[in-house]
Amino acid sequence: MPRVRFLNENLSLTVEDGVTILEAARTAGVNIETPCNAIGLCGKCRVKLGSASSTVDIDSQKSPLSKAESARTYVLACQSAIHGDVDVLVEDRSAENRSLRILSEGSSFSYEVKPFITKRFNGHVTEILGGGIPIGEEDGDTTEECYGVVVDIGTTTLVASLIDLKTGEEIATESMLNPQSAYAQDVLARINFASCPDGLATLRRCFIEAYLTMSKAMYEHAVIDPMRVYEVVFSGNTTMLHIACGLDPSPLGRYPYISKLGGGEHMNAEGLHISPFGRIYLPPVISAFVGADITSGTLVSRLDEIEGITAFIDVGTNGEIVLARDGVLSATSTAAGPAFEGMNIARGMRAARGALESFAIGADGEISCSVIGGGEPIGICGSGLLDVVGELVRVGVIGKNGRFAEGHHNESLKKALRSVDGKRAFFITDEVYITQRDIRQAQLAKGAVRAGVEALMSRLGVSDDSVDRVLIAGSFGYHLNERSLLEIGLLPSAFAGKVLFVGNTSQSGGTAFLLNTDFRERMKDVVGRIDKIELANEPGFEKLFVNSLGF
Amino acid sequence: MTKEKLYKGLADAVVDMDESTVARLSEEAVCNRFDAYETIDMGLAKGMERAGQLFEDEEYFVPELLMCSEALTVGVDILKPHIRRSEREDKHKIVIGVIRGDTHDIGKNLVKLMLSSAGFEVVDLGRDVPTNTFVDRAVEESARIIMISSLMTTTMEGMKEVVSILQERGIRSRFKVVIGGGPVSQGFADKIGADAYSPNANHAVRLANELVREDAREPK
Repeated sequence: MPRVRFLNENLSLTVEDGVTILEAARTAGVNIETPCNAIGLCGKCRVKLGSASSTVDIDSQKSPLSKAESARTYVLACQSAIHGDVDVLVEDRSAENRSLRILSEGSSFSYEVKPFITKRFNGHVTEILGGGIPIGEEDGDTTEECYGVVVDIGTTTLVASLIDLKTGEEIATESMLNPQSAYAQDVLARINFASCPDGLATLRRCFIEAYLTMSKAMYEHAVIDPMRVYEVVFSGNTTMLHIACGLDPSPLGRYPYISKLGGGEHMNAEGLHISPFGRIYLPPVISAFVGADITSGTLVSRLDEIEGITAFIDVGTNGEIVLARDGVLSATSTAAGPAFEGMNIARGMRAARGALESFAIGADGEISCSVIGGGEPIGICGSGLLDVVGELVRVGVIGKNGRFAEGHHNESLKKALRSVDGKRAFFITDEVYITQRDIRQAQLAKGAVRAGVEALMSRLGVSDDSVDRVLIAGSFGYHLNERSLLEIGLLPSAFAGKVLFVGNTSQSGGTAFLLNTDFRERMKDVVGRIDKIELANEPGFEKLFVNSLGF
Repeated sequence: MTKEKLYKGLADAVVDMDESTVARLSEEAVCNRFDAYETIDMGLAKGMERAGQLFEDEEYFVPELLMCSEALTVGVDILKPHIRRSEREDKHKIVIGVIRGDTHDIGKNLVKLMLSSAGFEVVDLGRDVPTNTFVDRAVEESARIIMISSLMTTTMEGMKEVVSILQERGIRSRFKVVIGGGPVSQGFADKIGADAYSPNANHAVRLANELVREDAREPK
């Protein structure tokens, strides 16, 4: 049997003939990311082969690697079957992942601290009350120690906060990449993976371990006893909540996309290593693809209370949109695809060190850009992509139809337009560029969100100029700028001057649920009344989508 | 105007999404008693073929392709009544649909449009189509090709089921099974024993043409 050596990790194993490098890596516990679910499209699993290696590329002519890369003996781990001994160099991305920008804060509003969990000392023991009803006792007076945890379970990232339930203060916070990505990158792949009991157990264990790592760090930082934690709020999308609670998510992945989990309820907190009286609270879930994270966002943005018309948009792989008109709410989700995460983009990457995050072209055609952590860019993250495309549309290098335009560009822009393997591309540096295909990916992603916004506006009979405020939520959205969003037409131009970036409202809303028990019943009621729209069933959606593709 | 010049003009007009020129030249073909079938085949359809190639090369995008197709339809509507009956037969049938569990059909609709433009008769089963329905309808319609699309990783297993049902009923060899859609790949097609994978609408047309040609060569 062939022997595979992972040089950086100093691991080696023997595998069956014909196994892919990726499969071998997973067996060996070497993490290689596969945003396209290992179908050979995205190029993100490229690895370098040692000189004396023999493998066979399953489909090398369609490889997204450029000819120059292939010549340097890079191959796609997912497409390369092993037919002899190989040495593999996996690029160490841990530094990149450690530097990944995770947004833990979201805007909120002031509310009364009135948690579900309270404590009462009767002179002998401390009673723990849940919703006013005794649920347990502790020896002595422990009333001073009463804590809760909020976790935003994102598909890509996890954010946790430790909250003092007496004061409402956040006393520690931690974040990390969601380690489930190693098994399945996107939401649908996660559903697929968790559709069998073993897969579900694996992903759940993976999340619980991550939770325990983060909570331990917070307890140590704040110097508190984990047994004094009584409630944990899981805010997150519907799939992540299913997996976190050990529920089979497979119905979410099939029409009619039903969520078995309604939220607005408590779950057993076994395995979280908190007080034996502790429990998990799940905020109400809106639908299969509009989760508790959006309920949290709805709560802290007060969409059910504010007058006028508000659009709440969480831009990501799935764009979730809530449109509120004087307390009447409609919600939907739209399949934007992974372009905003920098995936399926030739030189795309996550928002980590080395990513081009903003880009502008001056009046003289001079390019200015900023790179996370400074220095030369090594790739483009989602916000950078939108900036690059937006600016190139503005100066006419990209036409309204999304095609690189021929024409009278100024000299420096003309020089930047070169070709990669016979296809036109715009070069920002010698290594970092965007291709025609990248622009098409950006068009599909922004078109999906725009069409979702338009569909909700037409559903509520609202014109774009009557919208009073536009709230862009989520970690990715936080790093966008209004100009790019309008320039590429992700948002209608009538939204100019009305856009606010509200950050991680899944986290801030989860905290509100933890700290004020009244919100729980109220949001259950609000969520029950939301008009949940399945875009695929909306008449004319296809036309709306096609019309939303141009710039 | 010579036939060749008119055909080229029609093809150019389709590529340029120019409906009024398509209409004018189509009328002219009718006046000149050019063969209507040939005018569609050598003019309009050639234009759509070029548009499809531009799409595959990422020069054209979905909106352009749809506008080209609208221009083509303008011409077909003018020419169709003049096609002689005998030429109308002989169209290869394809059943197409989005697999059970999935309702994303924009991609499937684009493939259907390109196939129709290329002269195939397309039976559209819609979306969220049960696996048995693909087989039943393909048999009923005497189709040669079954095309299945999926945008959701979670529904791809259904494609495999269609292939299995064909095998179980002992009719696998009567149909070519082509699969496509965002999460689908050549590797997956190989794995489930589909005949082919198509990455885009233009490729699907080329593939369909190849498959019917192969089909014609195979002894019955």
